[in-house]
Amino acid sequence: MSYILFSTSADGLNIKVIEYLVKKGYNRTEQMLRNESAHLDKDGKPAHERAEDFGTLKYSKGFRLLSKWIDQNLDIYKAELRRLLWPIYVYSYLELVINGFTIDAQQYLAEFRAQFENVHADELRTFETVTLAPHVLENETTKLYRENKYRLPLNTHVYYNLITYLETNGKFGGTVIVYLLQTYCEIRETARGPIDQYSFEAIINQARGADSNDVDLQEGIQGVFTGVSNKDILNNNEALKLGMMPMEPELEQDVRAELEDEDAKHPPEFGKPSLIEEFDNIKREESVEALPRNEIPLPPSRARDVVMEVQKVKENRDRFKIDGRTGGIGPAVSVCMFTFHNTLDSITCIEFSDDNNLVAVGTEESYIRVWNMHGEALPSVVQANGIEQPPSSSRRLIGHSAPVYSVSFSPSIESPDNADASTPSTAPRLLLSSSSDKTIRLWSLEAWTCLVVYKGHEGPVWNVRWGPFGHYFATCGWDKTVRVWGQDHISYLRMMIGHDSNVNQIAWHPNGAYIFSASDEADKTVRMWSFVTGHCVRVFTGHQGFISALECAPNGKILASADGEGHIILWDLAKGTMIKRCRGHGKGGIWSLSFSVESTVLTSAGADGTVRIWDIEVPADPHKNADGEVIGTGGQADATRINGTTVASQPSAAAGVVGAVKKKGKDTMISPDQISAFPTKKSPVYKVKFTRMNLVLAGGCYLP
Amino acid sequence: MATEQKLFWNSDNVRDVAESVGISSLNEEAVRALSQEVEYRLGQVITEAMRFMHQSKRTVLSTQDISQALKVLDVEPLYGYESTRPLRFGEASLGPGQPLFYIEDEEVDFEKLINAPLPKVPRDMSFTAHWLAVEGVQPSIPQNPTTAEARSTELIPKGPGANPSLTALAGNDNVTFKPLVKHIVSKELTLFFDKVRKAILDEDPDPDVVLMRHSALESVRSDPGLHQLVPYFIQFIADKVTHSLNNTFVLRQMMELAAAVIANPTLHVDPYVTSLIPGILTCLIGKSLGVEGPDMMDQYALRDFSSSLLSKIATKYAQTTQELRPRLGRTLLKHFLDYDRSLGTHYGAIRGIADLGGTEAVRELIIACLGKFDCVIEKGIKQRGEDDLQVQMLIGCIMKVISTVAESGNVLTNGANGDADNEQVLIDYLGPHIGKRVAALHDHRLNKAIMEVKSREEREGAE
Repeated sequence: MSYILFSTSADGLNIKVIEYLVKKGYNRTEQMLRNESAHLDKDGKPAHERAEDFGTLKYSKGFRLLSKWIDQNLDIYKAELRRLLWPIYVYSYLELVINGFTIDAQQYLAEFRAQFENVHADELRTFETVTLAPHVLENETTKLYRENKYRLPLNTHVYYNLITYLETNGKFGGTVIVYLLQTYCEIRETARGPIDQYSFEAIINQARGADSNDVDLQEGIQGVFTGVSNKDILNNNEALKLGMMPMEPELEQDVRAELEDEDAKHPPEFGKPSLIEEFDNIKREESVEALPRNEIPLPPSRARDVVMEVQKVKENRDRFKIDGRTGGIGPAVSVCMFTFHNTLDSITCIEFSDDNNLVAVGTEESYIRVWNMHGEALPSVVQANGIEQPPSSSRRLIGHSAPVYSVSFSPSIESPDNADASTPSTAPRLLLSSSSDKTIRLWSLEAWTCLVVYKGHEGPVWNVRWGPFGHYFATCGWDKTVRVWGQDHISYLRMMIGHDSNVNQIAWHPNGAYIFSASDEADKTVRMWSFVTGHCVRVFTGHQGFISALECAPNGKILASADGEGHIILWDLAKGTMIKRCRGHGKGGIWSLSFSVESTVLTSAGADGTVRIWDIEVPADPHKNADGEVIGTGGQADATRINGTTVASQPSAAAGVVGAVKKKGKDTMISPDQISAFPTKKSPVYKVKFTRMNLVLAGGCYLP
Repeated sequence: MATEQKLFWNSDNVRDVAESVGISSLNEEAVRALSQEVEYRLGQVITEAMRFMHQSKRTVLSTQDISQALKVLDVEPLYGYESTRPLRFGEASLGPGQPLFYIEDEEVDFEKLINAPLPKVPRDMSFTAHWLAVEGVQPSIPQNPTTAEARSTELIPKGPGANPSLTALAGNDNVTFKPLVKHIVSKELTLFFDKVRKAILDEDPDPDVVLMRHSALESVRSDPGLHQLVPYFIQFIADKVTHSLNNTFVLRQMMELAAAVIANPTLHVDPYVTSLIPGILTCLIGKSLGVEGPDMMDQYALRDFSSSLLSKIATKYAQTTQELRPRLGRTLLKHFLDYDRSLGTHYGAIRGIADLGGTEAVRELIIACLGKFDCVIEKGIKQRGEDDLQVQMLIGCIMKVISTVAESGNVLTNGANGDADNEQVLIDYLGPHIGKRVAALHDHRLNKAIMEVKSREEREGAE
């Protein structure tokens, strides 16, 4: 049929040929030609049955094709291939919305959403409301997806299988998938083996302590879910200086002299080291791992600092020691709980001072209230108009014009036993507060007045924390920034930008050289910033809910972060990897985390009204198997709702009722590294804190 | 338009609002676009408001969160909704299936408001401190939730790799749930219960009182319709036994009551048997019951009575409580073999074993162990003298128990062997005190039975 190629009008020629064949009586040949030409378009080229002809249905067709193929695929590839579904799902939906097929888009969203509900609930909620093209271009989450390519590393074999399959099945929707992959994704083939629960890779990961089901670090949109929007920190392995900052030489000399005095006056009891020995043990020295002192200038030390350092050494020696697992059952921790009454749920944060004398709460009524925990009067250095105010054990700090979201006491320590009038006070003197009115305020705890208003944030300031040595403090807020301030400067010293969403939480590294921040919504990453350079040095991804608490261990090697789903994740800072995931808390938010002095035990507390103690050293699940035992928490997830479940859990109620409640509640697995859990009476716990003596202080509000 | 039904803010609402601002005709497309737009904005506000809720560490969204969210989104906030109270919505109907919701505005009469007494000042915020945990254990104080409230078993890790000792440490071994509902007992029954209680504890020897006592027990034994009182009786028995160990009368009455409860054919005692047992065991093998003195015999009578009661229970409820008999046997044997226990305890244990297990148990458990048991008798004699009542009672009890073997055994009685060498063997085997007495009985059948036990034991030992 080569002569067809020379003709300009294939149709006309065909007709002529057929006429000729009919005339000659070549019936079979004529039939053949008819059949063949039926599949040609006007230009005589072979016509494709294209998926595009299905209109808006092509996306759901494509998605179904892909998921069917994945289900039929070899088991070893399944885990890896399933990760394709989310980006395809998202981009299909966005395409539909952009092209104005709102109803089709909603149908598409509803049809397949069930499988993503677990991991991507937040995004799905956002997508649901995005129904018009302008929304897609305006919404932050969709913008992230639209403006970035979704990176997806695939194993070589899987990659070729996928591409050939999609090409051969083009007309059943393959072309749509290929189009989406080409336009919005960045598929990279990697040489590693397939990811799978029982694969070699997974076993190695497990040996390292990483969870095999955690998202691959390289996967996803840069910035969404897996973080890394700055190309320059793709390397999550930059060297860190996690050692403690050396002590100022003069200060060290003074402290040493003071300790020698103390040792001479009160020789240590038998079996206890002398204070000097203890000091030499914990002394912070110049080392390769430590940051040189001049990198972060601090004001020169004063008499107060000497007293504080001496006290620190004493407390370190005399504390209740928690040395790992004692007898296999974990240490016996004591928890002292402070319950606030008549709060009407208006308390937003609770904070204890380091000297265990003061407690401060921030309220939605824009004021801060400070109490003496022992009920003693809080003295003031100023007398209002010369009139002696009646002594009171609590004071209100009024100044903010919107809800206060966090408060922080400046570093302090219990005053020595033999303190007299000449010993400088070691009580906290300053309090910081951050508020929805975009300001941070510095309050004096001696005059009970506001000293400074720090302005700079462009939205509510969610969190403020003093640095470990005072003088510097960090804040984070709605404007997606983390800022570091010096007490003596009215404007911020550093601004860290990189989060794609609100920055919820911040924490300091104990050496004062790094700051951690955590974000919510589409981002859900934890970032580690260098104070000196202002660069982001680590990004940790793996949370599935908004991150509600963040804390770095006193040994400077582990970071703990907790989310609204009730998971706590421990991160190895040096390696930049996940150590383990602690499950057990109910949904609703873990509001506070705290490490013991030895960094071997973590305590957490949250909206489910429990204080839980976790063992850092135990691997998350020594006998990991596919189906761990799950138990229901029912309405326990929310302490304020306990009412409802106690009714159902009465033994008088039929067992069936209890069962039904359990089934209804979200299944929660408690990981075996939980040492103990202490429930409170209908009191969500806002704050837990290990003191320097390893006692746990907890603060919560009774909400009947 | 199936999907539009789902919208919070559907096209009808948009039209209503449009009409209210004077736009009477809106075309279909504009309405749809507007409703979708409103929906999106609503979502945006809610997402933002949730942030404020999370930051305030709350789990309930408040009106303040919404107004804050509007503020950061650069929208003029809605005024007049600031309240810590949830809003009250009223409902009015426009027509069938067209409910209209509005916020109820309270009408306030000025006159009344001005003259009304000032409202109470709300209580000041305050805090209290308590120990949530001491050394890893949660103390059960009023400030902490009870085990039932906390459902503490669910707070402990389960599954592979979980540490079982943690459960024990937290004191969750046997979590018992207290019923939170009050068990409602009719007035008549309560009255009856009180009367019974009073009657059986009345120690007065007055014949009327004695009669009352007996009739009370008789009533419990035979009256139908007392099933609601069973737990109370059980509780009463347990309580009294623990608190009046030195009053044999009360103990005796309690055992009588227990017997009566068990004897009543209309009562279903099976689920309570386990709670009944400890009290009876106390009365059987308690270290010392009642006061030492002339009325010692009461004590032994009590032990005998409890023993038979126990064996009765063990037989009667063997079907429903499978483990009961072996468990009781083990407990008694433990006390029998613990040579440091008091003589009274040993008495009770021996009686119990004999009553519970019959001759087979006597043969297997008691006779076989008597040789070693001699030291107890020896000690008793040394401390209290040969003629002491307690020692005598114990020896008498042993003799009585042993002799049952002879009665029941189908031992052939022909061939009476020489007693002389038998005596030595018996003393060697049963120990000097018992052996001598057994030998003195010159009971061939008994001797034979004991010898049989001995030879069987030796055979088994040889094997």
